[in-house]
Amino acid sequence: MSGIPTPHLSRRALLLASAAMAVTAPPAAEAQTSRPGGTPTPVPGGTMVMIVNPEPATLATYAVSAGNIPPITTQIYEGLLTYDWDLKPQPLLAKSWTVSPDGKTITFKLQEGVTFHNGAAFTSADVAYSFMEIAKKVNPNGPVILRELEAVETPDAMTAVFKLANPAPYLMMSLSSNNIPIICKSVFEDTVPMQNPSANRPIGTGPFKFAAWERGQFVRLDKNDKYWKPGLPLLNRIIARFIPDAATRSAALETGEAHYAAYSAVNAADIKRMQANPILGSTTRGYGTTAATSVLEFNMRRPHLAKKEVRQAICYAIDRQFIVDNILYGFGKPAVGPLSSVFSTSGWFTADVRRFDVPNRLEIANKLLDDAGYPRGANGVRFGLHLEINSFGEQWLRQGEYLKQALAQIGINLTLRSEDTATWLRRCYTDYDFDINEPFYSAGADPVIGVHRHYVSSAIRQGTTFVNNKDYRSPVVDKLMDDATRELDPKKRADLYHAAQKQMVEDSPGAWLAEVQYVTIFNKKLHDHTMGPLGTYEAFSRAWLER
Amino acid sequence: MRRWRYFGYRLAFALPVVFGILVLNFFLIQLAPGDAASVLAGESGAASPEYTAMLREKFGLDRPLLEQFLAYIGNAVQFNLGYSFRNDSPVFELILARLGPTLLLMLTAFGAALTLGTALGVLAAVARNSWRDALISVVTLICYATPVFWLGLMLIVVFSVNLNWLPTSGFENIAEGYEGWERWVDIGRHLIMPGTALGLFYLALYTRVMRASMLEQTGMDYVTTARAKGQTERKIVFGHMLRNAFLPVLTMAGVQAGNLIGGSVVVETVFGWPGLGTLAFNALQSRDLNLLLGIFFISASLVVIINLVVELLTITLDPRIQA
Repeated sequence: MSGIPTPHLSRRALLLASAAMAVTAPPAAEAQTSRPGGTPTPVPGGTMVMIVNPEPATLATYAVSAGNIPPITTQIYEGLLTYDWDLKPQPLLAKSWTVSPDGKTITFKLQEGVTFHNGAAFTSADVAYSFMEIAKKVNPNGPVILRELEAVETPDAMTAVFKLANPAPYLMMSLSSNNIPIICKSVFEDTVPMQNPSANRPIGTGPFKFAAWERGQFVRLDKNDKYWKPGLPLLNRIIARFIPDAATRSAALETGEAHYAAYSAVNAADIKRMQANPILGSTTRGYGTTAATSVLEFNMRRPHLAKKEVRQAICYAIDRQFIVDNILYGFGKPAVGPLSSVFSTSGWFTADVRRFDVPNRLEIANKLLDDAGYPRGANGVRFGLHLEINSFGEQWLRQGEYLKQALAQIGINLTLRSEDTATWLRRCYTDYDFDINEPFYSAGADPVIGVHRHYVSSAIRQGTTFVNNKDYRSPVVDKLMDDATRELDPKKRADLYHAAQKQMVEDSPGAWLAEVQYVTIFNKKLHDHTMGPLGTYEAFSRAWLER
Repeated sequence: MRRWRYFGYRLAFALPVVFGILVLNFFLIQLAPGDAASVLAGESGAASPEYTAMLREKFGLDRPLLEQFLAYIGNAVQFNLGYSFRNDSPVFELILARLGPTLLLMLTAFGAALTLGTALGVLAAVARNSWRDALISVVTLICYATPVFWLGLMLIVVFSVNLNWLPTSGFENIAEGYEGWERWVDIGRHLIMPGTALGLFYLALYTRVMRASMLEQTGMDYVTTARAKGQTERKIVFGHMLRNAFLPVLTMAGVQAGNLIGGSVVVETVFGWPGLGTLAFNALQSRDLNLLLGIFFISASLVVIINLVVELLTITLDPRIQA
């Protein structure tokens, strides 16, 4: 996910936009195919064209977790579970499940009558192989999500029993089609997973079958006539198109050539124009497991940044609302700490931390720097630092330009450095040759999946990207997060996370800038496309096109 | 016979050039920090060190540089361009898929620019200082000064979004699934805008060079001679001057053939055209060494071949050159 550039939408903007649409939408437009209740009747058939950006390098979703792969592969591969709007687990390939009281045994009953696209029957052996041989060994997230998984037992063809070393409450949040896809054991047995012929010609159980991939142009998916859910899917075909230029992507939506674009396929600057277009609709739903936050990382190995006063002063100097309004075009909200406010529904989020958005914040920041022993020089400058510009899009350069001005107010001279992705990653995560880095993270459906690795000291792993590169070592935070990983009681788990957030904000190993809200743009002829919190990371099995 | 010996000599000279390009490129790209494994691991979000190490071992990036180099040259000599691990596909297949669209776009734009540019240049030179000359000069100046990406986007806004005459982007309309003749018409419709955007700049250039070159010929002795013996203006222009005046344009076109392959990254990006330019750009961004070197090899070979053809044309047009 970290590989995808941004935009996003505030709740206020969304309400305004939907109110405006409700007023201006011509009532006759949807009348033709209406059911009695006013909702249009689904019609089968048709080809849906979605824009995926950038083009994936590979479709081996079981071994590479780049965010641009699942919009295609979740049509083909299915996971054990899916999630409802409240993020509660729902059946997919697993029909039902029970968790033992000690949390160490999970028993899944599997769907019957499911076949892979190559005709092979789906059984518990495929589940065991997908988890133990594929996900645990070659999935980059495997070591985190499946750390406690010791074995998958298969007492019969339709039962899979997961044996855990310790309770892992986050595991049930990580079993969707995009997290752990179920692959066909007979296709993979005795092969090197990443060189398997099905890496780029995926074979799954999903509603659409892989048909063709013309590099630089499109991936074509055809309807799976033998899909196990009766009467589905409705579409005959899905085309995932790749258009490198953002302005052209917007034009393709405006002309009706493409029907659907999620994540940041449409530039934030273009979204308002798209929302005014009568043939297009927009939604911010379907990003419930993303929890995307833009942050700053401080390299605490550097003498200035080793001091807590300096780190806090930088946090005070930044006007987060300005970033939301001007860099994100209003599609987001200011962040207050390491956990996204998306986690307030689960109770893990707290805003009761040291707040940097106080009215006299610049005064406090300047005083902190004075007290830390860095007086302003003759030209008003205390010292200089470098900011490494995120290479995943132009908006990060604009954010850098703002930060330069913001830090100048407290006498820190920020120099911006732009490099290409490979160089940038190497500098920040292998060579540690940086002062401040401005990456962008997705927390995932549970903090264990995407938050812990940025702050616990065990995640200081030189050469690994998007982990704790700050040299932040807090025994308190380590202990709290470790306990939260195993705690099954939601109330106790929430207390642990609240304490961890307070401590981290106080230590300020980084600055948390903005929670990014993505917007999906779609043609109004396309219906039932965003059916759950996974959004574009879930198959379009019920989607249909009005003709 | 002498012409072919000269041609063979140029050909023998071209092979070390291609080899030199291979060697130079291999070591140049080693200077760029970061490797394919770190980019791939970076895109994965959080990859363990074991995962990155596994990728490195698989890609052969853990072997000594000299060993990697010898393996690469050994393969290249046998026309084996290797395997792109990032794309999970043989390099040759990746390039082959892009070569057709690239050549189609390139030859259309190049051919149109060359023919039209020559014609306009002759027209301007013949009617020197008339309103036609002035008009051609103004139009070519505008074409020359317009940035290609802006022109591309404006074409899309006008002809796709507003008029809805042409598709915005892509190589063909897959959703409709055209076949046979209809498919080629469809591809042609997709080709119009990128071809125009790419060709206009070169059109302007060739028009101006052709005009200057024609005017230079006007004062030559052989033109005066032809006129003195009573030949018609038409014969003088087309029979005598055109052939001589075309040489500088041809030389320039040969040199620019390389630009046309590399320079089309912008057009390919704006129009989503599946060409070699974007493939090379993405390969560089992701440090896909095998693929990048493969593209360098193919495009260097293309440039060398085009230059040989130009050479052949030049000595056909002016036999004095081979001496």
